[in-house]
Amino acid sequence: MKRYVLNILWLPVLFFMLSSCEGFLDTRPTNKVVAETAMQTLYDANVAVNGLYKDMKYQDYYGGMMQLLGDQRGDNIQPRMMSTGWVQVYTLGYDSEATTYFSLWSRCYQTIMRCNTLIENLGKLEVSSASDIAKKNDYLGQAHTVRALVYFDLARCYGYPYMKDNGASLGAVLIEELTGPNDSKQPRSTVAATYALVLQDISTALPLLSKLTNTGHFNYWAAKLLQARVYLYKGEWNNAYAAAKEVIDGSPYTLVSRDDYIQYWEKEGASETILELFVSPQSGIDSDGGYVSYWHNLWHGAPSAGATLIPTLSWIDLIQSEPGDIRAEFVRYDSQYDSSKPWFSKFPGNGGTNFRYNNPKLFRLAEAYLIAAEGALKGSGGAAVASGYLNTIRKRANPSVADVVATDDLIQIERRKELVGEGHRFFDQMRLGKPMVRLDGDGYNFAESVGCPGSVTWDYFKVVLPISHTERKFYPELQQNPGYTE
Amino acid sequence: MFKRTILLLCVMSVSVMQLFAQVRVTGKVTDAAEGSAIPFVSVVIKGTTTGVSADVNGLYTITNVPADATLIFSSIGYETFEVAINNRAEINVSLIQQAVGLDQVLVVAYGTTTKGSYSGSATQLRQETFKDAPVISFEQAIGGTIPGVQIAQKSGQPGSLPEIRIRGFGSFNAGNDPLYVIDGVPATSGDWSSENIYTSSMNFLNPSDIESITILKDAAASSLYGSRASNGVILITTKKGRPGKVLTTFKSHVGFSYFAMNNYPLVTEEEGEMLTREAWYNYGTDNPTQWQSYGSLDSYVDAMAEKYYPSRKSNLIYTKWEDELFRTSVSQNYELSVSGGNEKSKVFASLAYNYDKGINVIQYLRRYTANINAEHQMNKYLKVGGSFQFSDQMQSGHQDGQAKDNVFYLWKVHLTPRWPFKYDDGSYWQEFYGSGTRVNPVPQFHLQINDATQMRIMLKGWVELNITKDLKIKSIVSKDYLKMHDRFHWLYGHINFTAYGEGYASDRHRFVDKMVSSTVATYYKSFGEHNISLMAGWEAERDEWLYTRLAKIDFSNYGATESALASNFESGYTYRSLANLLSFVSSFSYDYNNRYYVSASYRRDGSSRLGPDTRWGDFWSVSGSWRVSNEAFLRNVYWVNDLRIRGSYGTSGNLPSDRFGYMATFAYGLYGDQAAGYPENLANKDLTWEKNHNWNIGLDARLFDRFDFVAEYYNKTTLDLLLNATVPSTTGFSSALRNIGSMRNTGVELALNVDIIKRKDMLFQVGANWATLHNEVLSLSEEGEQIVSRPHIRKAGYSMYQYYTREYYGVDPQTGMPRYYSNAILPDGTRDKTLVNRAQASSTILEGMTAIPKGFGGVNFVFSYKSLSASMGWTYKYGHYIWDDGTDSLNDDGYNSYTNNSKDQLNRWQKPGDITDVPRRVAGNTHGGYYDSSRALKKGDYLRLKNLTVSWSLPQNLLSKARISNARVYVSGLNLLTFTGLNFDPEVQANGYYNFTFPAVRTVTLGLEIAL
Repeated sequence: MKRYVLNILWLPVLFFMLSSCEGFLDTRPTNKVVAETAMQTLYDANVAVNGLYKDMKYQDYYGGMMQLLGDQRGDNIQPRMMSTGWVQVYTLGYDSEATTYFSLWSRCYQTIMRCNTLIENLGKLEVSSASDIAKKNDYLGQAHTVRALVYFDLARCYGYPYMKDNGASLGAVLIEELTGPNDSKQPRSTVAATYALVLQDISTALPLLSKLTNTGHFNYWAAKLLQARVYLYKGEWNNAYAAAKEVIDGSPYTLVSRDDYIQYWEKEGASETILELFVSPQSGIDSDGGYVSYWHNLWHGAPSAGATLIPTLSWIDLIQSEPGDIRAEFVRYDSQYDSSKPWFSKFPGNGGTNFRYNNPKLFRLAEAYLIAAEGALKGSGGAAVASGYLNTIRKRANPSVADVVATDDLIQIERRKELVGEGHRFFDQMRLGKPMVRLDGDGYNFAESVGCPGSVTWDYFKVVLPISHTERKFYPELQQNPGYTE
Repeated sequence: MFKRTILLLCVMSVSVMQLFAQVRVTGKVTDAAEGSAIPFVSVVIKGTTTGVSADVNGLYTITNVPADATLIFSSIGYETFEVAINNRAEINVSLIQQAVGLDQVLVVAYGTTTKGSYSGSATQLRQETFKDAPVISFEQAIGGTIPGVQIAQKSGQPGSLPEIRIRGFGSFNAGNDPLYVIDGVPATSGDWSSENIYTSSMNFLNPSDIESITILKDAAASSLYGSRASNGVILITTKKGRPGKVLTTFKSHVGFSYFAMNNYPLVTEEEGEMLTREAWYNYGTDNPTQWQSYGSLDSYVDAMAEKYYPSRKSNLIYTKWEDELFRTSVSQNYELSVSGGNEKSKVFASLAYNYDKGINVIQYLRRYTANINAEHQMNKYLKVGGSFQFSDQMQSGHQDGQAKDNVFYLWKVHLTPRWPFKYDDGSYWQEFYGSGTRVNPVPQFHLQINDATQMRIMLKGWVELNITKDLKIKSIVSKDYLKMHDRFHWLYGHINFTAYGEGYASDRHRFVDKMVSSTVATYYKSFGEHNISLMAGWEAERDEWLYTRLAKIDFSNYGATESALASNFESGYTYRSLANLLSFVSSFSYDYNNRYYVSASYRRDGSSRLGPDTRWGDFWSVSGSWRVSNEAFLRNVYWVNDLRIRGSYGTSGNLPSDRFGYMATFAYGLYGDQAAGYPENLANKDLTWEKNHNWNIGLDARLFDRFDFVAEYYNKTTLDLLLNATVPSTTGFSSALRNIGSMRNTGVELALNVDIIKRKDMLFQVGANWATLHNEVLSLSEEGEQIVSRPHIRKAGYSMYQYYTREYYGVDPQTGMPRYYSNAILPDGTRDKTLVNRAQASSTILEGMTAIPKGFGGVNFVFSYKSLSASMGWTYKYGHYIWDDGTDSLNDDGYNSYTNNSKDQLNRWQKPGDITDVPRRVAGNTHGGYYDSSRALKKGDYLRLKNLTVSWSLPQNLLSKARISNARVYVSGLNLLTFTGLNFDPEVQANGYYNFTFPAVRTVTLGLEIAL
């Protein structure tokens, strides 16, 4: 009997032996990879490069917010009604305690952290063959350029326009390497210092980047156009002109024809697109393309669209002022929601099949023409050169118009027409120190009745976004923008 | 569980007969105090293992007994009684109830003890407390019965998740749920809700299969569970077989439910129109440019009213939405159990079926449970046993909160009386309401699948070896297997379908596979008046999760329901994760002469959730008690029946809920159709246990043989609080798991039970308990650090659920605008109390406004008279504030013209001089008076009649003819009466945040129990 008893007792003893053996307490996740082993080959690095762009297309960054900050704070797009459609963006109704509008800031730093991680890990990656070195350089160049773009966006959203005070206002917190919770609590640098880092990152990247087209990723030409845009915002007209001219003259990209212009917007990898971000149903339905996306809310052509956004009547009047403009075809009058108001069909969705999934086009060749025009006009290039670039864009959309001699007003009008919905208008007015005028009674505007000044200049405190009150509670080094409550 | 007392001695009726050596003895066992039969008393011949068990009526027959033998009568809750046979053939015995708190057997960590020798803080509930309550899981029935324990339901949908908080809150993030231990084995518990419905993993236990529940509150009681004990421990003991005649019990009830109260009373249709017009009139008055094109303000108001609160049309059918959406729920319950065995083998088995229809057509819960518990004494040394518990549950419902398919939210906020229900041809009106996102929910019900199945099997085997009389080793191996399948499908034709192509199907399978093995040796020895006991052992736990999710879009066929018939992939993945725990446990206790007791425990835990440098933790406790009433100087004080003082100190812990939170990791997704990887978690190699230092002092007394009194004070300090802490956004992460700061909970718990009437055929007892809770964050990682987690803030010196928001003053009597205190910080550090508008107001800590109650508890009554018995349980809570998120949508001062209005809106400001808290109504208002300010904070005090049960046993003479040993009918009610100042259900989760979760229901059931 004793023997029998002992035999039974072996069972738990056996289990104990099994469980106490080495490694019982060393478990590893299977749905993620431990960071130390995550970037050991160039393939891993390539996957991490894709990771830089993956979340930039969320609605709080290039999936909507950047476009809204440019067009809806401007006079191109507005909410259809007072109760829905990013009313707080439209009316500049944000404040430091609202909880909704701060993910742009954190999304930017998330992307910067990914760039810094990639830069650090690429430094440890040893490659030997020429093709591998080229790949590695291209990845490193992309990391620097993405970082430059994000810092540029932080500077123009959270800092005052460079030309207002030569970049003396507060810009971004400059983080150039990986940090932990304790060493990240650094104060904001100036806009000027932020621009300096942006330009330095672009200079670092340009020699590293591939000049081949690489849809969905930065290449040399996209970085060059970013550089042109940064110079434009800084008022370095000759530099802006030179960089834009290099893109126009040297890149493999071409302007699409007037006939292809409407369909252009649904095409991936089209000849005019220098940088777009991939948006697809496979990569997260709600945050990228779902109800909260910009595209969903611009669309009125299906019963389940969001339809909370409409084009302003002043933009419609502008585009219709010269008959024959292909871009006037974006204005449609068959809204499934509110037939009394026109809607805006520029972004029909990838392949024209699902309006929710739109690759946002961040850099197009058309912008290079407009930058070249402005840079030439205000720099040493001259009005004749500027007119050439400007008329190319004007006549592509409307061959019936006569050539004009470029003026700053004409260039800004053309930017408003050509870049509508792409997030430029408000930033353009601000960088030039021009007022943004939106008066009640002008079309469906209602910003004034909701407390927003009818005319906003770069002196108004709300032209920059607030820093989150909640974050400042544990990160007091982060300075608030003047005018906002603590 | 009411304390009883020594009242009578036994009564023996003697009838002399028979001088033979072997006799047959019959008799009846009754309760000495109440005279009622005691069922299932064990009757054993002294010095042997031979014996029988009395039946449900206390009748027993034992044959072949030596005429000079002695019989031992024993039953749980009664004092053991011995009587010599002396040749009698009939021996009737009355047993004396144990004064609970003295020698009542108490189930505790890794064993049992008697209450009198236990110096920890534990409350044991017998199944009588909850057996007739119409609940799915026992937690719903025990609110208000245990001092210091707060219980709320996450939602009023059938089978929803209970929220149990024992002595406050030990953690920010690592969870505040207690550990559940079922028959000695830590069980899978906590929140295993589906993606869209709250569901409790404890639903698998049919309350009728539970024998007792012990709640372990202090360190002395719970430290033996080490790293998982800091939120308290709930020990569940399931029913075992009883020796004697096979007892078959059938029980059934049918119940009816509807909302427990009138939640959020709304304005009438006429008032709704009037309020809409007023809002637009005011808007037009303020903004004349807006109505220029309408000619006059009046025609503008007419047009707006028609758009937002349209008049009734003759070709459309309108309805009272409540009638379309809700019904009186009918629930049914059927249970069958058998219990039997002899002195060597005992078996208990049960089957149950439960069906709750739910008060909305998409809600229901159906559950089957089966249970077998068996043990066998193989020989003098060896005892083996095992159990099998099975349950299969199907639950259907909808999301809670401000979700499109929460019918309660839709009904209250979006479905105004002016939205059409049908066309006059009888077809449903299917257009979008209001701003274009809400639809007529009724035709959608059958086009949506939102359900969760949960299958659970708990298998357990154990071996107990008595090596010597004093030394015993017990090994348990168990497997707890939980399989869950959640579906969230919008079928072809659902109004939301275009959002996801032609329909959407998300399926999620989760498996929780937990294996636990423990081996524990115990040694017990008495040396005269000294008793010692020792325990030592180990335990290993392997907890594996398997997770599979698949979502597809575009059904290929009208009526298709499964994703196999959906054509396009949307998302899907699978993974497994493993968390292991290895532990060593030990304890020691000593007592002298039933007067002085000391004990100590020690546990060492190693967990895979922490890094190699920090994963081992030590947890211990010491405790002692002094039974003053056994001292010579109190022995003869007649009115002191029992008096005891006890105290304990010890530590316990809490592990991070994240299994790999200490590691830096990369996660992967897609960028277009290419793989994309990114850092997902900040590493923290120093991550360690959350540790609790816990002390407790208590006093137990029974006086005048009538009053039972328990008083306790505790102080629980948590160090190294685990927090998924917000980190500076400049790290690139939003949060990281960190040990941050410390927090303290202190409280007093008092319980008093009084036997008001205690006669042979009548009993009336009243019990009341009251507990206080003071919760305070002592420190955060950095001096002065504050963590805002709206509507709360965490800051040293304040409670964990301190509210933080703009301070609402009220309405300016001249303008009707909402006014706030500025609360800007002045140069001298004080807050500016000037009245300003919303945009100028800063959020601030609202002193004294917290979700933590000042006090809570319950009052319970038990009454019985002959075959009639009744019990009633009240529960209360006071001194806390609720954040009413409904303010946003129902009290929005005209902001959204499409939605319903709460009756509060009738008090709006209308003309200069009006004194009110409700601002002037303005359509699309810009003053923003409706959201995120202290206007949403309301006093949460309430008193609720939680349980009421009246039960009547049928007369024996009637039953015996039908060969039924006992039959009982009862009526039981849940949430029958509620007194509160809130206009919605006051049983809100512990953080005080109320956001349209489905409210509690009132249930009345009729039940029948028959025992054969």
